[in-house]
Amino acid sequence: MSEAGSPAIVARGLCRRFGALTALRPLDIEVPRGAALAVLGPNGAGKSTLLRLLAGLLRPSGGELYVGSAGNDRVARRREVGLIGHATFLYPTLTARENLLLAGRLYGLRDGGVRADRLLPELGLAGAGARRAGTFSRGMAQRLSIARALMHDPSLLLLDEPFTGLDPRGAELLGRRLLGLREAGRTLLLVSHDLSRAAALADRALVLARGHACALAAAATASPEALSEAYRSAVSRLEGASA
Amino acid sequence: MTARNPATAPAHPGWHRATGLALAACTLVWAVLVWNAPLDSVQGVVQKILYVHPPCAFAAYLGFFVTAAAGALYLWQGDPRWDRLALSSAEVGVLFCTLMLLTGPIWAKATWGRWWSWDLRLTLTLLLYLIYIAYLLLRSFTEGSERTARFASVYGIAGAAIIPLNYFAIDMAGGRSIHPENLQRGSLGAGMAAPFAMAAVTVIVAYFALLFRRMEVADLREALARREAEAADARGEATSWDT
Amino acid sequence: MRVFAAVLWKDLLTEWRSRDRVVAMAVFAVLVVVTLYLAAPPGPVAAARTHLSGLLWVTIVFAAVLGLGRAFALELENEALSGLALAPADRGWIFLGKATASFLLLGVVQVLASAVFALAFDVDLRPIALPYGLVAALGGLGLCSIGTLFSAMAVRTSYREVLLPILMLPLMVPVLLGAVHATAALLEDGNLPAGPLRLLVVSDVVYLIVSFLGFESVLDE
Repeated sequence: MSEAGSPAIVARGLCRRFGALTALRPLDIEVPRGAALAVLGPNGAGKSTLLRLLAGLLRPSGGELYVGSAGNDRVARRREVGLIGHATFLYPTLTARENLLLAGRLYGLRDGGVRADRLLPELGLAGAGARRAGTFSRGMAQRLSIARALMHDPSLLLLDEPFTGLDPRGAELLGRRLLGLREAGRTLLLVSHDLSRAAALADRALVLARGHACALAAAATASPEALSEAYRSAVSRLEGASA
Repeated sequence: MTARNPATAPAHPGWHRATGLALAACTLVWAVLVWNAPLDSVQGVVQKILYVHPPCAFAAYLGFFVTAAAGALYLWQGDPRWDRLALSSAEVGVLFCTLMLLTGPIWAKATWGRWWSWDLRLTLTLLLYLIYIAYLLLRSFTEGSERTARFASVYGIAGAAIIPLNYFAIDMAGGRSIHPENLQRGSLGAGMAAPFAMAAVTVIVAYFALLFRRMEVADLREALARREAEAADARGEATSWDT
Repeated sequence: MRVFAAVLWKDLLTEWRSRDRVVAMAVFAVLVVVTLYLAAPPGPVAAARTHLSGLLWVTIVFAAVLGLGRAFALELENEALSGLALAPADRGWIFLGKATASFLLLGVVQVLASAVFALAFDVDLRPIALPYGLVAALGGLGLCSIGTLFSAMAVRTSYREVLLPILMLPLMVPVLLGAVHATAALLEDGNLPAGPLRLLVVSDVVYLIVSFLGFESVLDE
């Protein structure tokens, strides 16, 4: 259920160059609060670049970007955003709880301990708080990194290929968890290779190819084949646009 | 669709002709003056290194100063042209620094009987040389033109801030200055002022002549990289990132 | 400010869990002292004082370079450095946190190295302990500030272990010379000379400013 109010993401002419290469061509999008956007595209399309721009890790080469209540300011943007990537950002020699406490301090939270103690059981890590993060399995580590991203209660969650490396059951659980987060009112942005999972979670999609972007014009309820077809034609259209 | 990008346009060829001619002219005048300069009664012909060695110092230090300033401008404005200037100046500057380190010992051996001495100026030159080398190594070991530019700029600025400190440090440490003082005090012997001044002018002109040519090479490389990236784009190849 | 405290706490805690940096630095320092002694046992001449302080500081510089090289190595695992970069604060505080942690670790190693050095070269540091401590702290500060900045750069390049000393050493000369001469004077007559001390302080200030401001550009993409 999306709330009325200011959109979660507004980008105008957002672009990013690396030396001679333009990883992301000027992009205009608007994502309302509470929506779930899937970002799809082949390798090297610029998906990670977009994500890192949104997270405030990358400086835009041009354009404006507004996330949540933050103005066009990277430091404020980082407060609004939680990033869950394929890297976990965890320190293996620190315990799970300590990793969360560190995140709490980095975000200036006073009640870090309380939040950590609440999040650990919520993500199925109740008994593992005192264990070193280095001993965690991939699934547990990912859950911990989700907890870490949630510590400062961000309005926008960015997920970079979160299903990679998970077994089907783990992926299932993650999908349900993400739906739960969405229902709680957070805005999600999901980068994924997995078309079907992305479609299951998202209510809109953006296709990127070689830095160009376009919205995917297919209903979320479309069949997997129709979805693939729409995706493939979008990609070839975008790649043709580079000429 | 490829708009003419001022960042990759090569320097005006007029500059090349001008500096090239100026250099040729200066060198001619310099050679004549040096040939006709009086022979030092004590040191003989070797003394004429005065017309090569100290002037190179001007170019070596100018080169590093330009590198550092260009780096600062790059960090401020983000224009890759500044970084190309920084790199070009570093390569030209290190050339003159090498010349200094080669001519110094030649003169030292002839005059003091030793190839090397740890006096103030030689040590400073050596340190400047090592800083240049470190700068160039940093550039070659870093991947990604944008990251390289950033790192190099920071190192250049650090170097420029610390080189003056090096002077005080070695001075304090009592670098025995057996370097001829009168050269720096300006009280040159009769008939030596003109060739020395000419040498200084020639070296500065040489520096700029080489700098412009090196800049053009850098600009051409950049234009080539850009064109290759666009061609790969048009051919339908996934562009690999310049990271 | 809290980012500084957070990073410092994290670095010290991590180090406490594994103690590998401190142990490596300490062992290396002791080995260097021993090697220096074996290579050149000092003669009974007072002129050796400057050489002695030089040897001591060479040991410390090498140990510092070793430790600083490791400062960012841990951050690469799991891209933890990006995790820090996500914090909504000035990157300069991350720099301060890491530099302070390195400074404290180096301090521990300095105490050990100085003690071993005093034993090996038969020098009594106790009467000059306090002023020497000041010089050691100022020297360590210079090393760790610039060293942290360059370590952050070097860790993203190939040949990172070799590159850090190449970047650091030519720019370490003011701190090194200031520390060596101050220590030599202390060993000589117990007095803290103004010249080297001034050089150390000025250098430290310059280094701190350059590193704090430069770190933003190094960490930022």
